[in-house]
Amino acid sequence: MEQSGASLFERDLARLIVQTLKLKTDPAVIEPEAALFGEGLGLDSIDALELSLAISQTYGYQLKSSDPQIKTIFSSLRALAAAIEKNRTK
Amino acid sequence: MAWVAQFLGRPAARALLYPICVYYLLGSGSARRAIARFRERALGRPAGWGELFRHYHAFASTILDRVYFLRGQFDLFDIRFHGLDVLDRELAKGRGCVLLGAHLGSFEAVRAMGLLGRQLDIRILMDEQNAPLIRGLTQTLNPMMAGTVIQTGGIHALLQVKECLERGGIVGAMGDRVTPQDQAIACSFFGSEARFPTGPIRMAHVVQAPVVLFFGLYRGGNRYDVRLESFGGETCVPHDRRDIDLTQEVQRFAGRLEDVCRLAPDNWFNFYDVWDRSN
Repeated sequence: MEQSGASLFERDLARLIVQTLKLKTDPAVIEPEAALFGEGLGLDSIDALELSLAISQTYGYQLKSSDPQIKTIFSSLRALAAAIEKNRTK
Repeated sequence: MAWVAQFLGRPAARALLYPICVYYLLGSGSARRAIARFRERALGRPAGWGELFRHYHAFASTILDRVYFLRGQFDLFDIRFHGLDVLDRELAKGRGCVLLGAHLGSFEAVRAMGLLGRQLDIRILMDEQNAPLIRGLTQTLNPMMAGTVIQTGGIHALLQVKECLERGGIVGAMGDRVTPQDQAIACSFFGSEARFPTGPIRMAHVVQAPVVLFFGLYRGGNRYDVRLESFGGETCVPHDRRDIDLTQEVQRFAGRLEDVCRLAPDNWFNFYDVWDRSN
């Protein structure tokens, strides 16, 4: 099943999420606007921490607790992808 | 209580703990039954009223002493440290350290480690939303220390944990209490299954920080024994074995906690039935 309206980068990121967290989900079915945590994919904050380390390694974007937008950034695949694209250094 | 503690001084404030403990002992049915059940399991015999009173009194004492700890008045106490070399060894690895503790005795005794002439950057991961009294107390008594508490929940808290560990700091976390949003594993605890959270150990794995066990045992009077213990093993675990190892590790923590509970049963401060699955 292919999700509708996901950009190429969002698909890359979905793959990174599935790989990093060893999810059984097919990355292609992650809806870009759906919640990543809690209800959505059922991820918790420690998964988010693990993901933030992978993002730093892969894209050179270090997520910081001092970022006032931090909750919004992790709200959906789309929000996370947008933040990475804006801040990535590799 | 903070006011009383400060202006009357510790001896007078301690005298007030007697009527307070009697009041709570008589008034708190389910908490009292939970403690009675714990004591019966830990000691293998039914708990009498005298013992229950001692248990409540130990708890009240640590709450009162928290006021003095937060104000840095450690000279009032005889605090003995055991196993500091374990902490030093882990900190030398340069990845910070997760101090894994429990609601056993006083976690706040961790503050006394500043006494030892070490410049330690200590944060405590705590669910303050569910402890507004403690939060208010911390803010009133020592606003600077209030900043060293990381409120649990969410990526914001965990990034703070990661940043503290990366600076080589210490993060204290409780390994014995499960909230509804926590992942938990059933472990053998005094012969029956009780649920323990996987979060603190998982968190340490993710950031590859060493884990040291921490118990600040209250020994009556003004005496505290701070025990630091190696948790053993390398924290760097291959990913695909992650779940299996977590079960073993959380069980290992529950086992150590059981041993230390036997040394100081009066220090068990979970006032609910940890073996009751509906909790």
